[in-house]
Amino acid sequence: MSVREITFAEALNEALRQEMERDENVIVMGEDVGVYGGVFGVTKGLLEKFGFDRVIDTPISEAGFIGTAVGAAAMGLRPVVELMFVDFFGVAMDQIYNQAGKMRYMFGGKIKLPLTIRTTIGGGLSAAAQHSQVLYSIFAHVPGLKVVVPSTPYDAKGLLISSIRDDNPVMFFEHKLLYATKGPVPEEPYTIPLGKADVKREGSDVTLIGLALTVHHALKAADILAKEGISAEVVDPRTIVPFDKETILKSARKTGRVVIVDEDYDRCGFASWAAAIIADEAFEYLDAPIKRVTTPNVPIPFSPPLENHILPNADKVVNTVKSIFKRK
Amino acid sequence: MGKTVLMPKLGLTMTKGRIVEWKKREGESVKEGEVIAIIESEKITSEVKAPTSGILLKTYVPKGSYANVGQIIAYIGEPGEKPPELAVEVIEAPKPTAPPPLEAPPPPITKVAVRATPRARRLADERGVDLTKIVGSGPGGLITEEDVLREIEKREKYTLTGIRVKEHLPVTPIREVIAKRMVESLQTTAQVTLTIEAQVDALVELREELLKTMEVRVTYTDILVKAVATLLKEHPLLNSILEEDKIKILDDINIGVAVALDHGLIVPVIKNANKKHLKQIAEEARELARKAREGLLTPDEVSQGTFTITNLGMFSIDAFTPIINPPEAAILGVGRIVKKPVVIEDNIRIGNVMWLSLTFDHRIMDGHVAAKFLQDLAQILNDKNKLKKYLEL
Repeated sequence: MSVREITFAEALNEALRQEMERDENVIVMGEDVGVYGGVFGVTKGLLEKFGFDRVIDTPISEAGFIGTAVGAAAMGLRPVVELMFVDFFGVAMDQIYNQAGKMRYMFGGKIKLPLTIRTTIGGGLSAAAQHSQVLYSIFAHVPGLKVVVPSTPYDAKGLLISSIRDDNPVMFFEHKLLYATKGPVPEEPYTIPLGKADVKREGSDVTLIGLALTVHHALKAADILAKEGISAEVVDPRTIVPFDKETILKSARKTGRVVIVDEDYDRCGFASWAAAIIADEAFEYLDAPIKRVTTPNVPIPFSPPLENHILPNADKVVNTVKSIFKRK
Repeated sequence: MGKTVLMPKLGLTMTKGRIVEWKKREGESVKEGEVIAIIESEKITSEVKAPTSGILLKTYVPKGSYANVGQIIAYIGEPGEKPPELAVEVIEAPKPTAPPPLEAPPPPITKVAVRATPRARRLADERGVDLTKIVGSGPGGLITEEDVLREIEKREKYTLTGIRVKEHLPVTPIREVIAKRMVESLQTTAQVTLTIEAQVDALVELREELLKTMEVRVTYTDILVKAVATLLKEHPLLNSILEEDKIKILDDINIGVAVALDHGLIVPVIKNANKKHLKQIAEEARELARKAREGLLTPDEVSQGTFTITNLGMFSIDAFTPIINPPEAAILGVGRIVKKPVVIEDNIRIGNVMWLSLTFDHRIMDGHVAAKFLQDLAQILNDKNKLKKYLEL
């Protein structure tokens, strides 16, 4: 088998196909996942290969089909549900955080709940306030859910396979702007353990922490900073729950400066939580305040200039890094 | 099961010891017999060796603090073992009795708010850097690690007064003790030095004879130890100690003899020198000097001196101003013996002369008392019969 360049969406599609081939208990459910092949093409071709019993188009009824999937998982299937936009989770939240997230605990560990909920996140498409949010921090906030946020095609495939094989409910977040990005992906199935961060670029002066699209903002910022003599390390936690604290702390202790780049809303979000951990456990190694580049707590605007103004980008990362380096 | 490490009793008079330095840190592995700490008692420093191999799990007494003899100062055990929790009595360093130095009191310390990063603070703390003296280069003048590193480099390459430095020598424990005791001596007593040029033909002649007749090779210092010890009985103030409001005249006459080592100075003591035969003194002095060179002196052998003799004659020095070895009342500095023209009964002849420098504590006695002692000593050294009498030969 070989490694080819394929897109993020193709990598996810391959993961789904290979897992459905491997295990007949793996089924796919959601809006437009069958005949249409998914609004972003991730489930393309699955219906033709696995049939209507395993690839189920549902009505626009998130509470209903996610609740169905929770029950199916409790009874032994391994459902992969697609929630078209994370923004829609509200109507199904009881099924997700109180049923899926708590069931194994409430039954004293006597059942498994091998459920994966895939969903899309992120702005940048002028999709306005109800189709552009990130929101993974909300799922990370409640106990009982694993939270996976891949940034590359390679990570997407390996993490999705791990999520499907996990016996606990996993929230799997796919950034809409990453679907078309290409990267090397092995043809054969492989897994990436949940809870293992990846150092995407090594550096010595500042640690940039990113998730999904913001990993790419951080990498671009690192290129710009390198030309100005600042060596940035880019760390991608890849999963928020479980969280690879050690890799992040190791990098923070090495560089002494941390900028967290997070497209989720700033208030009580991932960036704040990660900053708190670093301040708590690597305080005496810090040579600058921990900085966050996040999205302010406003609805995501439809207007492209306004949307561009509030979302994180590489220039904002560069300016933030510079602000903690030298006397103004 | 691990072993405890105790504060050793190195000498009869030792009641407590100070941890000068931990050579091993908590968590480090040690081998049996390996030095784990340097301790100091009164005037001597010594090593504490590991009684067993293992991990130094716990040190109970911080550097610079004192512990009583026999007190547990450390615990060596196996990895994962929990060292015993002990309510350890740490004796605070005694407050120096020195009067305040004669300089203007420092201005009251005003607390300056320093803006520095945690990393910079940690480094500054580890390396003893004063953050208030650094101008920060970070945002808004924040002091960063780089600023502290620059300051450390500056400090290592220059003196505080801006002079370039070639290399650094550590202040060894023995150096530290010497420095402390010498400053203490000069700050707490009123020292005056008297000098006299003694004609010592009698001394030189007698020594030549003794070299032939005595099986031990007697040095001039040995002869001076005995002569001074005998003479001190007649000059009790020079063999006294001032404590609080009393001058205590001492019964014992214990003569310290300064021995120069490559790395410092140590003063072994010949106890009751007035009661010992010259031969015994010579043997003892030689043995103590050997032990001093080999670092084998015990605290008992360097304590309880009542008067000190220091000889720089071998370096062709004539006169100098020795510093009193506290709490003694006086110290005799011995110069070289050299042939010079001397006037005897209006005739110029070649004679042996030697300078003697006596530093005394003016709080205890006045100049004429010390001068009389020195004059007597000079006369004894110039009169063979007297000298023999004082040497009890």
